[in-house]
Amino acid sequence: MLTVALPKGRLLGDLVPLFRRAGLDVSGIAAADRRLVINGGPVRFLICRASDVPTFVEYGAADVGVAGKDVLWETEHDVAELLDLKLGRCEMVVAVPKRSGIQRVTQLGFNSRVATKYPRVAARYFREQGIQVDVIPLHGNIELAPLVGLADAVVDITETGRTLRENDLVPIASVGVSTARLIANRVRCKLQYEPIAALTAALRQGLERGLESHD
Amino acid sequence: MSMQPRYTRVMTPSGVRDFLPREAARKRAVEAALKTTFERWGYEEVITPTVEFLESLAQSNGPDMAEKAYRLFDREGHTLALRYDVTTPIARIVATRLKDEPRPVRLHYVANVFRHEELRAGRQREFWQAGVELVGAPGPAADAEIIALAATALEAAGLREFRLDIGQVGYFNGIIAGVELERDVRRALRRALLQRDYVALPQVVAETGLPESKQRLLNELPRLQGRGEAIERALSLADNDGSRAAAENLAAVYRALEAYGVQDRVWVDFGMIKDLDYYTGMVLEGYSPDVGFPVCTGGRYDQLIAKFGVDCPATGFVIGVERIMQALEGQSAPGEDGRPAPAWLVASDAAGRTQAIEAAARLRADGLRVVADVMERSLDEALEYARARGIENVAFFTAGSRRTFHGPGLQEREGGPC
Repeated sequence: MLTVALPKGRLLGDLVPLFRRAGLDVSGIAAADRRLVINGGPVRFLICRASDVPTFVEYGAADVGVAGKDVLWETEHDVAELLDLKLGRCEMVVAVPKRSGIQRVTQLGFNSRVATKYPRVAARYFREQGIQVDVIPLHGNIELAPLVGLADAVVDITETGRTLRENDLVPIASVGVSTARLIANRVRCKLQYEPIAALTAALRQGLERGLESHD
Repeated sequence: MSMQPRYTRVMTPSGVRDFLPREAARKRAVEAALKTTFERWGYEEVITPTVEFLESLAQSNGPDMAEKAYRLFDREGHTLALRYDVTTPIARIVATRLKDEPRPVRLHYVANVFRHEELRAGRQREFWQAGVELVGAPGPAADAEIIALAATALEAAGLREFRLDIGQVGYFNGIIAGVELERDVRRALRRALLQRDYVALPQVVAETGLPESKQRLLNELPRLQGRGEAIERALSLADNDGSRAAAENLAAVYRALEAYGVQDRVWVDFGMIKDLDYYTGMVLEGYSPDVGFPVCTGGRYDQLIAKFGVDCPATGFVIGVERIMQALEGQSAPGEDGRPAPAWLVASDAAGRTQAIEAAARLRADGLRVVADVMERSLDEALEYARARGIENVAFFTAGSRRTFHGPGLQEREGGPC
């Protein structure tokens, strides 16, 4: 039996139909409200916090899981990445207050403060650009930081750009585009090669079917 | 005056640990089983220094080592490092002090190594390795011996469920040999295969600009695995001499495994790319379902020893001792509780002391574990201590007399062996 770690929250709502199209029994997930372990035929689902999915998978508490690429960038877990599920698409951007007039990251001053939920990604990005900044890790409501003078810029994910706009922030650079990925424990994807390969193939088919139904 | 926080006095640094008696006994049992197996196959033990010149240790260890080695300086200003692996010191030894030894040379070791790892997912900064090196034998028979010995050693250590995956780095290298690739693209390609990032792989492959057939083959690598038939498939797909030779080499290794009776433990995976640049042929990784990381890793490294001045092929593997302990915990092997309590407690009053110490000596000579009281305990106190420690035999001596107590409840019995 495979153990599959799924992220709770909005992405879960998109994953359920995909897993259903892939032929998995997801009725338990749809019905569950508070349960965290759900049996679905040959698969057992664990419902965990999105940023914890790679941890469950890396330690082998789950064989496979679904995690956003943004989380994988940040945590650098040693897990296999099997399939791009194309869901939960969002862009990671550098954004600054509109009134600052800054249009390129190179215009950010020496030791500018950058607020983010992704301190490692931000530090790596600016290092690669050769720009020295102070990264300020926050857990949420990143957009608040520039409004109150805590930071000069933010690194955050955005789907539509609406939250940024509403807080008078403009994106000036793209760090990367993130989608949900099917990940696997690096030992289990070897020892359980066949069931995991079958799950991957079923989800790939589920994705294609999903695309057709949109046509 | 010391301003050190209290934890630096009573705790150990992150990434190192104590082994208390029960864990120490389990660890020694694993090491003894591995060591006995290595010795029965003719692999002799070597013990290398805890500290060596960094330059020497750096010969096989890639850029990772620059960040992860524990460094110090000697009084002459040389940079030293704590033992980072044992394969490299053995390469130094066979190229220098054992250079005239008849080949092949078979060596084994059990040693602690030190790496400043990021502490996550089963990594420690001091950990124990048990391994073997077969030096001076170039052919598939040597690689087969290494794989079979790995399987035998893991079994001897008590592992019931495990699998050894074997691959051949020459297969991948053959595909991209003689092709001009930008260094970044080559690195990204290796990284995608090494990290098993199969989302990035097709994108990176597309960026190589390689011919269609080579791109297909690279994208097929993750699926190029299975039992023996995977080698057949690899052979039929190979589009160059290097890959073909690699697949033929692995086929020969696999055939040789049949005589050892370990083929059913072995899985073939041509997509297995190892992180060390020094592997030159067969590569090996061992997995247990209860451990999220490989328990064993190794392969052929024909270029390393030349860096110490003697050109000499070699193959070997290393087993992570703590990972075996973790795997055994997972399968909760019965009767491996470790730490057997002493069999006897011998105590006395002041007048019986000499007799007590002599009785303890006799029991020890018979091979029993005996503790002698050094606290001047009364009979009742001695019995209480024995119960608390799980000691099931107590002898109490007074001038000219002896009382003995046996069993979990420590019932008094007349006579006895003491």
